Amino acid sequence: MATIIACYKWVLDEQDIKINPGSLDLDTSRAKSKISDYDRNAIEEAVLQEEKTGAEVASLTFGNSKAKQSLKDALSRGPAKAYWVNDELADKADALVTANVLAAALKKIGQYDVILCGEGASDTYAQQVGPRIATLLGIPAITFVSEMKIESDKVIATRKIGDCTEEVSVSFPVVVTLLPEINKPRIPSLKQVLGAAKKPTTEWSIADLGLTTEEVTAKNKVKSIKGFVMSRKNVIYKEGTPTDKVASLVASLTKEGVL
Amino acid sequence: MSEEEKFDAIVVGAGPAGSACAYLLAKEGKSVLVIERGSSAGSKNVTGGRVYTYALELLEPGLHAEAPLQRKVVREQIMMLGEQSGTTIDYVDYTYNRGDVPQSYTVLRAPFDEWLAGKAEEQGAMLATGIRVDDLIIENGKVVGVKAGEDEMFADIVIAADGVNSFMMQKAGLRQDITAHDVGVGVKEIIELPPEVIQQRFNLTGDEGAARLVLGCTEGTTGGGFIYTNHDTISIGVIFAPEGAAKRGKKILEIFQDFKMHPAVYPLIEGGTTVEYGAHLVSERGWNGVPQKLYREGFVAIGDAAGFVLNTGTIIRGIDLAIVSGIAAARAVLGASDGAEVGSLYMKELENLKLSPTMKLFAGFPNIIDIPRIPAVYPAMASEIMNYMFKIDGQVPPKMTKGIWKIVKKHVSLGEIMADAWKGVRNI
Amino acid sequence: MAGIWIYSEDTIIAQQLITLGRDLAGQLQEKVCVLTIYEQEVQSLIAAGADKVIVLKGDNVWPESYAQAIAAQTTECQPTLLLVGGTLRGKDLAAKVAARLQTGLITDAQSVKVVGGLLETERMIYGGLAVCTEVLNGMNVITIPARAYEVPVADVGRSGEVVTIEVKTEDVMAVGNVCPIVRQGVDITSAEKLVCVGRGIGKQEDMKLAEDLANAMGAEICCTRSVAEDYHWLPNEAYVGISGQKVKPVIYLSMGVSGQVQHVAGIRDSKLIVAIDTNENAPIFAAADYGIVGDLYQIVPLLTEAIKNK
Repeated sequence: MATIIACYKWVLDEQDIKINPGSLDLDTSRAKSKISDYDRNAIEEAVLQEEKTGAEVASLTFGNSKAKQSLKDALSRGPAKAYWVNDELADKADALVTANVLAAALKKIGQYDVILCGEGASDTYAQQVGPRIATLLGIPAITFVSEMKIESDKVIATRKIGDCTEEVSVSFPVVVTLLPEINKPRIPSLKQVLGAAKKPTTEWSIADLGLTTEEVTAKNKVKSIKGFVMSRKNVIYKEGTPTDKVASLVASLTKEGVL
Repeated sequence: MSEEEKFDAIVVGAGPAGSACAYLLAKEGKSVLVIERGSSAGSKNVTGGRVYTYALELLEPGLHAEAPLQRKVVREQIMMLGEQSGTTIDYVDYTYNRGDVPQSYTVLRAPFDEWLAGKAEEQGAMLATGIRVDDLIIENGKVVGVKAGEDEMFADIVIAADGVNSFMMQKAGLRQDITAHDVGVGVKEIIELPPEVIQQRFNLTGDEGAARLVLGCTEGTTGGGFIYTNHDTISIGVIFAPEGAAKRGKKILEIFQDFKMHPAVYPLIEGGTTVEYGAHLVSERGWNGVPQKLYREGFVAIGDAAGFVLNTGTIIRGIDLAIVSGIAAARAVLGASDGAEVGSLYMKELENLKLSPTMKLFAGFPNIIDIPRIPAVYPAMASEIMNYMFKIDGQVPPKMTKGIWKIVKKHVSLGEIMADAWKGVRNI
Repeated sequence: MAGIWIYSEDTIIAQQLITLGRDLAGQLQEKVCVLTIYEQEVQSLIAAGADKVIVLKGDNVWPESYAQAIAAQTTECQPTLLLVGGTLRGKDLAAKVAARLQTGLITDAQSVKVVGGLLETERMIYGGLAVCTEVLNGMNVITIPARAYEVPVADVGRSGEVVTIEVKTEDVMAVGNVCPIVRQGVDITSAEKLVCVGRGIGKQEDMKLAEDLANAMGAEICCTRSVAEDYHWLPNEAYVGISGQKVKPVIYLSMGVSGQVQHVAGIRDSKLIVAIDTNENAPIFAAADYGIVGDLYQIVPLLTEAIKNK
């Protein structure tokens, strides 16, 4: 019976983030949090594999104290237990730190045959943590996977990498990063939501993982985060009949030389 | 049926009614499951609005001090709009915000509902969000549980707190689908402004607040507008009868936009940033819109699902009535020695807690509000009268009685005024 | 001062990166060194501007199997910077190298600059809503998207240092069944004119409106993510957005596209953005040069006619 661990990140919902006009600073005060979109696919895939092969599934996340809400969410999607590295350092973590922490947590969990990750987080979309974890643990990584199968002691996966697909197979243990097209996460049912409250969770702090300060310090410095605002002409034709509006648009585009 | 599938009570909807009910039941040791359709409690709810504090005190003395509330309302205002003018009656009462329990607070639903649901969880209620209840489970004529997707959950009592268009009430056979006649459509925006600016524009100090109802902003359709001051935002919106609006061919958003842009209104929100849009149905029938039966064996309805909304034209109440009805239902469940009693005990509690007598008292008001001349004629007429009273242009104005009478006659006939006055008196 | 290193499993992309590499090398007084797993490409890389080429010779044809070999070289030589072509293979490899070296990795940098002697990068976060500027500390790996830079003009007579190293590849993974993805349609990333379809198009049959307009304009058709991934009216390669294609046409004209930040992130480099939508508050209008608020079912046919009649 394989052990599958699905890693996820608890992120701010980018739809709730506003840009302050003027300073262009981000206003995250109204932003709710969610499990990063592609990580939901990872959790779902872990559970689907469990339904097919009887594997044991756990979820793993690294986040600050607010990530506590994520445990119920993750568990309601099917894993049998949840691991959580709870530390304020998560606020300043980059992919290097996150991977170091998750790898250390996986070592502490001890048993992992297949580690599933989304191909990138919806906030930073750095697309690195999965392969980083693999290298830290000294195991292979199969990235950008659109289809996968687990067979007794190995993973057979189809990667979709731009201009071609390839089939890769390798024995446990292995990290697999998943494309969102791999599955459509199901919405948890009432019983699953209620059941989540009863499942075991294990909480660690970074101190429990035996990492050096260097390993949990982000390498580069963030100089600024500014809302992206395009300054375009914004000439929008609202009044008049459709014929009028089309005529105005055609005139403008002709003047611009594109028609 | 395993232990996991049975509760003492299942509450459908984690709005103020559902959470208040769950809070009391859980506090007294009952096992309660609250099932909420939205991703979090309150995410599907919209209010003007404000909450009257007595209701929170009734639930738990001192609870209001912990609640995320906005401003303590001291200014109660009524505004009548003409085309380019407005008449505002402003009643300021500084007893409203004194003492341990200020009379009312303006409120924002998302934090408030979430907080109250959290309080219920603290007492031991289980909250499942993001789940829609699809049906009731009825056995031998008795409601014994609910069905959500594939899952069935059972309870001694199912409490419908699922809002104005209560699906549960329909499934229980206690009401039909609501008609356009029963409800108003409310649209609302929350506009951000610095607290100092809000205080300046509404003549407030510190955490004082203003609540304003507006007539004459619905372009002739039955309805009205509202403006509430929150800490650093303003809630502004319009409610109207959808049928009327459709008949006049006006788009709801157009009417709302015109209201915001009215010269007497715009300066209040100028420079602000809209941070939230919301729209919702509102029960408009008052006591006459409350279904004949609010319960059957194993089932009761509370809050908007029971139609508990009061609009007297000067005051709108919903949240407090929701909470009180939740308390009534909880007390009924706790006090009943037999499941079959709960329904009638609930109706008694609604009397004891003064909810039904209050609603009955104002039962006729929707008829007054329905008088078509109220939104269509009287505000404009009042504005014209005011305009006449204050006009100084060097000419000799008509004698006051004659002048006013001329204006009145222009808008209504004597017969119409008499009819409206008679209707008003009969329904108050 | 151990150089600006460049690697891509795609030689053309490696050449594109040399453009950036030469620019940075000039500012930082460094040399440009390109790693390749293909010995036959050495000359073209030098002609493109590499001062040195390191050929990693291994038995495995699978590019991913060279990750640790590249990491080992990088550890040994300690370059200032490693630029990696931002293909999916490249990103995979870059992450593994960065983990081995415990360095930072900037993915899809939109710009790499030298400011006050230090390297600064910019990249999009929150689905394209914001730009994150970072100051790099120590050695870093940066992935650069394909076609972000031009291939330099080849200087055929140029000479450079060539070093060939036999490396051990990682052979644990069995790779097979490599199938090219048959492009179902045009490569929209190189299209000059684009018509974009969003969810405002109610039925698949209505795509004809877009097709007629595209024909009249001489444009290709693309779409938003949901039209491809949820409705499957167009293949995945046709959707524009932060996780899809990034386009830079002379004109991009959308119909029924609301303009979510994730979609707009893919059209930023368009010279002209035109939008047609019923909702005047749709975010697309804030991102547009020109637009019409109206019913696309009325507007688009009229527009198609008007263009045909010109």
